[in-house]
Amino acid sequence: MYVEFLGIPRERAGLSELEVQASTLGQLLTELSTRLPRFSELMIDGRLHTSIAANLNGNEFVSDPDTRLTAEDRVLLLSADVGG
Amino acid sequence: MPPGFHGKYLRIDVTDGSARAVDLPDRTLRDYVGGSGLGVRLLLDEGTAAADPLSPEAPLVFAFSPLVGSPLTTSAKFAVVSKSPLTDRINDSLASSGFAVAGKRSGSDALMIVGRAPELSVLVIDGTDVVSGFSRTSLIPAGDLRGKTCQATEDALRARLGSDFRIASIGPAGEHAVRYATISHDGRHAGRGGSGAVLGSKNIKAIAVRGSQRTEYADPKGVTALSRDLSKRSMGPATAKYRELGTATNLLVFNRFGALPTRNFQSGTFAEAESISPQALSESRGKTRSSCVTCTIGCEHIYGFAGGKGGTVRMEYESLFALGSLCGVGDPDAVLRAAKRCDELGLDTISAGGTIAFAMECVERGWLDAPWLRFGDGGAMLRAIDLIGRREGIGNLLADGSRRAAAVIGHDSIAFAPQVKGLEIPGYEPRALQTMALGFAVGARGADHNRSGAYEVDFSDQVDRRNVTLDAVRLAIETEDKAALMDSLILCKFLRGVFEDFHAETAEMLRRVTGWDVTADELRDTARRIVTAKRQFNLLAGWTPAEDTLPERFLSTPLPNDPAASLSRERLDDLVAEYHRQRGW
Repeated sequence: MYVEFLGIPRERAGLSELEVQASTLGQLLTELSTRLPRFSELMIDGRLHTSIAANLNGNEFVSDPDTRLTAEDRVLLLSADVGG
Repeated sequence: MPPGFHGKYLRIDVTDGSARAVDLPDRTLRDYVGGSGLGVRLLLDEGTAAADPLSPEAPLVFAFSPLVGSPLTTSAKFAVVSKSPLTDRINDSLASSGFAVAGKRSGSDALMIVGRAPELSVLVIDGTDVVSGFSRTSLIPAGDLRGKTCQATEDALRARLGSDFRIASIGPAGEHAVRYATISHDGRHAGRGGSGAVLGSKNIKAIAVRGSQRTEYADPKGVTALSRDLSKRSMGPATAKYRELGTATNLLVFNRFGALPTRNFQSGTFAEAESISPQALSESRGKTRSSCVTCTIGCEHIYGFAGGKGGTVRMEYESLFALGSLCGVGDPDAVLRAAKRCDELGLDTISAGGTIAFAMECVERGWLDAPWLRFGDGGAMLRAIDLIGRREGIGNLLADGSRRAAAVIGHDSIAFAPQVKGLEIPGYEPRALQTMALGFAVGARGADHNRSGAYEVDFSDQVDRRNVTLDAVRLAIETEDKAALMDSLILCKFLRGVFEDFHAETAEMLRRVTGWDVTADELRDTARRIVTAKRQFNLLAGWTPAEDTLPERFLSTPLPNDPAASLSRERLDDLVAEYHRQRGW
């Protein structure tokens, strides 16, 4: 699957997109924090900090680490506080 | 009188420059706190909700709060409250920063201005007489300031009166009663709803204030400790977006989600979004950061122009979307120049962009005779802004906002005038963000992202943002209540992610400042009381249930780039009815 980074996640990841293999959201976040050390600043106890949101394919927002992912998914990581 | 307050407001009649201090009962202060809440209460007590907002008897209130002047981060803010000449409903706009501190130190919890000066004037309020505790007010002629920009007015007055004065002023748009003219201070604006036109209608070009009357704290050490803790937390991850990127970074996020209003809400994606993104803006021009007095976040990202000439401009998401994608303009310099021109003229960028985008669509349909005003033409947008600021040519029509312009243009153009209650819609596509659609529909001052934070609900796993159910109503109400409380305490909304228990933590702030035994539950009640007071004002001003809705475009046409983003009139009506039921209205 592909991960798209927007906002602060992009700043911490240092890139806009990354291909990753994972079958759950929790696995994905663990993989990201291993491969992208600064990304781990956005995580607490294996979950995203409340200021960061995860979205599947531009549709539903997800937070449960057990959320199942497929190889076709695109996971968007963005700043949760979208207010202007 | 509780600590943190002066226990009075100053009622100034600019017809003759007279002023009198009016006592504020402790109960009023506790029930409405300050800022928006106190301002609305004072307007209700004046009994002028039915008056023409541009008439002499219509009051304009600058309200401070018990936290203003404290070291609590982001608390240097003031609310400007009046009846809106754009919506004919309640309007409360907030701005920062030094004017709030100086205004409170002038010795009052609020300043109420009524009447009409015989000539264009500056209202001077001097509260430096600590012994008497009185503020001296005077009017000085301002004919030499006529037509000057907000910043030029501020600079001229500080040079004339002294650098310890803080100035709130209107630009040419306020002088010409543009219905979405702002009141500006230090480059920031009480932006929405036309408070600048209200001040202009009173023949007041600017208010200059200084003072040295501080309020006490019930627990000074406690206030200091809380302030240190809050400042420390305000520099953490919850505010990183505002600090590092600014609100403009929303542009690409919204574009990715197909929720970026484009070409007068005819699409939710903008092909040229990348070219006006903050990343692109930063690559080709200088950028600096700034912050308000007492603020530790520093959200302001200030851009220069390509080539380094033409000064600088603060750029926020709302200005970027309204003068960029909404008008189909992808030229970054044109967008920056438009934002700067709005700042100089004293125009709300959201209403300016929304009204111009509406006009562009009318031209496209052949309903408005201004063939030069085309989507995507940055030069035409700049020309329109200047005409609006001077009320010349087509600018005279557009200066009244999209709702009134639609009434003149006809052809049922009101169906796509991008407004609720007359206030132009900010940068959140309602069909793609349907909890926010409800927040827009029921907003007391019209469609606004600062009075309803329901977009946060849409960007969470609590709802399906393109198919919300009645379960979303309670969540929308919670964000509206929270916003009302933040606007009354007053604290910046960019802090909201910092709190683990917002009501408990803000109750502790008030306890330390005022000595009240206030609880989290009491503040929940206070928030509801303030929202209800706004509703009460609107009822007295002539509100009808039909106003709590969205333009027909959003209810009859799915979002073209995302057909799943469809909101029927029946569903919105159900949401609004449930909102009214839960409010007990």
